[in-house]
Amino acid sequence: MASVTLRDVSVEFPVYQSRGRSLKTSVLRRVGAPIARNGNDVVVVRALDRVDLDIRSGERIALVGHNGAGKSTLLRVISGAYEPTGGMAHIRGKTSSLLDLSVGLDVELTGRENIVMRAVFLGMTFAEAARKVEEVTEFSELGDFIDLPMRSYSSGMILRLAFAVATSVQPEILLLDEIVGVGDANFSEKSRLRIDALIGKASVLVLASHNPEILRRYCDRAVLMRNGRIEARGSIDELLGMAGAL
Amino acid sequence: MTDATMPALVAERRSACGAAFLDIRQGLARWRIWWLLGIGDVRQRYRRSRLGQFWLTLSMAIFVGSIGVLYANLFRQPIAEYLPYLSINFVVWSLMTGIMLDGGSAFTQSEGFLRQEAFPKSLFVIRVLVRHFVAFAHNVPVPIIVFWWFGKSPSWVILAAPAGLLLLGLAGFLVALASGILCTRFRDLPQILQSLVQVLFFVTPVTWIPEQLGARALDIVRLNPFALFLRLVADPVRGRLPPPSDYAAALLILLVMGAAVLPLFAKYRARIVYWL
Repeated sequence: MASVTLRDVSVEFPVYQSRGRSLKTSVLRRVGAPIARNGNDVVVVRALDRVDLDIRSGERIALVGHNGAGKSTLLRVISGAYEPTGGMAHIRGKTSSLLDLSVGLDVELTGRENIVMRAVFLGMTFAEAARKVEEVTEFSELGDFIDLPMRSYSSGMILRLAFAVATSVQPEILLLDEIVGVGDANFSEKSRLRIDALIGKASVLVLASHNPEILRRYCDRAVLMRNGRIEARGSIDELLGMAGAL
Repeated sequence: MTDATMPALVAERRSACGAAFLDIRQGLARWRIWWLLGIGDVRQRYRRSRLGQFWLTLSMAIFVGSIGVLYANLFRQPIAEYLPYLSINFVVWSLMTGIMLDGGSAFTQSEGFLRQEAFPKSLFVIRVLVRHFVAFAHNVPVPIIVFWWFGKSPSWVILAAPAGLLLLGLAGFLVALASGILCTRFRDLPQILQSLVQVLFFVTPVTWIPEQLGARALDIVRLNPFALFLRLVADPVRGRLPPPSDYAAALLILLVMGAAVLPLFAKYRARIVYWL
């Protein structure tokens, strides 16, 4: 059973200015050079502040809040990429985040090689990855381009390929940062159906979006975030109202 | 995946040290990823060039050939002795320093992956090792041809070379891991390492032969761990079996490095992604 349990989770980012990052300043500081009196250059950004969240199997959560409220950071914590700097996160189940579709795509490789690479990243064996190529090629409508290096693709083709690979594996916990629409009218309808199927089969969905319609369509409860904190929990309409009033 | 019988909340309270070992274990287990990335790195650099990755071999051959002839004259060495000596040394030296320098960008280079999913961090360090061992495999024909050209056939002692390579690989992993963590945190470090390696090139017997430079040179060599690991791979190829004390020293160095690097990794493993 997939589940997400966050207890008191904080995420703090050190933002090093170029000075704070250099070894010299760090050494000098230790030696007690006058620079130390200016305080250190490290600015700490608290992206998540003591967040408690429980998501059980079957739940579809909408993340609402302004830009910079901590929605994406929260998604990255749930994906496991960010280990909380305070508190504890326990994620049970295979997660997949469609946060950045084009991650790991290499324009010098052919479409086929890129598919195999991504498929292996998603945990497949080489044989399974090779089988995936057919399906992804067909879905992304790339035809013979699949054996050409990706630098010869149009940006639409790259997006279609990225989308097709990223959505080719069914996760238990699906994390989405806005619903991605890809391509022309025809393909965007196809990709919507694919996302719908993915969401339908996922046992947990966490969707961050600014679009009320999309949130209402896919989610059944909402979490409102503000300044890295969970400000409120409740129904989608209730929280969208609050978010608008903030 | 976590053990299902363990209560969820307890399972996460693994010690940082346990998490570090788990990271390395999982990193090794996902061999398909580091293998593809590693060979991809070598291929990618030479993509669209006609010779492809064999430029590695060719440029190594050009370097060894020209420096070999020049230094053999400067040092007044017979070419038939000096060129084989230099060829194997330089190939091993490139492997060692390549791992150390590229280890520094192990994490910064993989930023996209690390911010997207919970990948074992060690995976990206192993990728650097794969990249350089694959490049090493491309370079190996150069000393083979040089040895054959001058009629030097290897003795059975060459069988000790893989053991040296294994020790070098382990040390390389620890160095690359430390260098990756520190270079991600301190962005001036790659430049410092670069100059350090340039200096090391001259204090390590890659181009010169310690026995011919007297007692001073021997002292430098004795204190230089790079010289030790170089010897462990290159000497057996030249038909000289390193003494047991060399192997003991290498193991001791590995132990000390492990005792320094693994706690560093345990402590900062989870922070790496925030430094990217």
